Amino acid sequence: MLRFEQVTKSYSGGFVALDRVSFHLEKGEMAFLTGHSGAGKSTLLKLISLIERPTTGKVFINGVDLSRVNRGQVPYVRRDIGMIFQNHKLLMNHSVFDNVALPLVIEGFSGKDMTKRVHAALDKVGLLDKVRCLPHTLSGGEQQRVGIARAVVNRPPLLLADEPTGNLDPDLSKDIMNVFEAFNQVGVSVLIASHDLSLLARMRYRTLTLKNGRMINDGLTSYGADE
Amino acid sequence: MSILFQGRATGATAVKQSLWNRFVMFWVHHIRQALTSLGEIWLTPASSLLTVAVLGVSLTLPVTLHLMVKNLQQVSSSIDQAAQISLFLKADTNETQIAELIALLQANPEVADVQFIDKGQALAEFTAESGFGDAFSYIEDNPLPHVMLVSPKNTSSVAASALLETLKQERYVELAKLDIGWLERLDAIVSLVRQVAMAVALLLMVAVLLVVGNTIRLMILNKKDEIEVMKLVGATNSYIQRPFLYTGIWLGFFGGILTFLIEEVLLWWLKHAIAGVTQLYESSFTLEPMSLAELGYLLLVAISLGFFGSLLAVRRNISQIEATGL
Repeated sequence: MLRFEQVTKSYSGGFVALDRVSFHLEKGEMAFLTGHSGAGKSTLLKLISLIERPTTGKVFINGVDLSRVNRGQVPYVRRDIGMIFQNHKLLMNHSVFDNVALPLVIEGFSGKDMTKRVHAALDKVGLLDKVRCLPHTLSGGEQQRVGIARAVVNRPPLLLADEPTGNLDPDLSKDIMNVFEAFNQVGVSVLIASHDLSLLARMRYRTLTLKNGRMINDGLTSYGADE
Repeated sequence: MSILFQGRATGATAVKQSLWNRFVMFWVHHIRQALTSLGEIWLTPASSLLTVAVLGVSLTLPVTLHLMVKNLQQVSSSIDQAAQISLFLKADTNETQIAELIALLQANPEVADVQFIDKGQALAEFTAESGFGDAFSYIEDNPLPHVMLVSPKNTSSVAASALLETLKQERYVELAKLDIGWLERLDAIVSLVRQVAMAVALLLMVAVLLVVGNTIRLMILNKKDEIEVMKLVGATNSYIQRPFLYTGIWLGFFGGILTFLIEEVLLWWLKHAIAGVTQLYESSFTLEPMSLAELGYLLLVAISLGFFGSLLAVRRNISQIEATGL
């Protein structure tokens, strides 16, 4: 599903954010991406969502070489990837419904069909009763779940999450992770960047560990490896 | 259609829709976006009002100049109709020769009408109207010549001056005069004003384009975060820029309406002043207002300026905002 081949990303000034990173995430697999801040987690996610392009090496999604995707096609690639952000990235002056509906509206949905899908996505994250609320009236955990609903509303085959539990207490983190597991169980590939080691320890999924831009561990018991 | 996942049904194309349905939805979608943009203008009235005001005032000047040209042309053409050639005959012309000339002129296909003014009759008129009545009684000979007033069939200034040239060649004619010199001057002034209007209009249109562009640019910068989010969830540039283009169109529309209103007030205000002037000239001149077609053109120009000004801004700014995301 998602494959990195010797990917290096260096920024002007000589800073190397990723150094010859290779890994392969299978279809329907769920994995964590961990490492200290500055280790290259965000850069790796940016390469997948085409916010950045690799300096050398190649990224494949479902066998498609992302270096062949031109500027005009980038939006269409992003529609196939559900993205969840640490700071939620919600439209603060629009209702929860509008936020979740955004990817559908962009793709040209309207009317009953759209409403049905939005309600289904909000139902999955348990926020159906907050449809008409504005995001700033919700708690941090609820805002994060709105972000998740938006990411899954058009049923993407691949889900990326950047520190989805960043500012949440352990109970809420567990809830959020359960939501991800539920999606994973219906066949969605999930990659979650997180430095919450205790959470990783509890979840026991494959963990990719980055340190100073290099992949130092790829396996189940990675947590603590770079401690 | 999905690029990464062949066969993954994406978007509304995933739902089977009839052609007619899609056609209707296309328009519904656009109208909805237009109304949304209108609503956003309503929400930020201060900057939008300012832009509309700049548009309205800027367009008023060229429109006023245009109306001025139009009315001046109306004046000059009404005078053109009255073009008349005066033939002053040689002093020693006798009655038979005069009759001969009148017959000759009436036979001329270019001539519509000939009116003869005897020199005695002319002196009597002049004595009565000039106020020099007593002074003329001291003059023994009548100094005035016989005059013939010839009205040309074709009253355009070119045709009239051609006729003037031929009539000058007549044997008994001392002097022929067609008073079109000032008409030509008026024509020249009208064309000068028209060209000034064009230049001013061009400059102001550029100014309007830049003002609209700047307003839209500020709107884009204000919504930078929102645009970033939309890019992250897969919105294309053309999708993101559409509401801004509609905003430009609305700004242009309201600017055009404002121009029309200012113009109407201006005309109403000037009406009395113009009536005062025309009364002095005993003319029945009425100020020609803006026609419906002209209002249409004005709105079309204003809307296009809004649209292109906005296009200028979105082209430059929206693609520059890149999703920083994550």
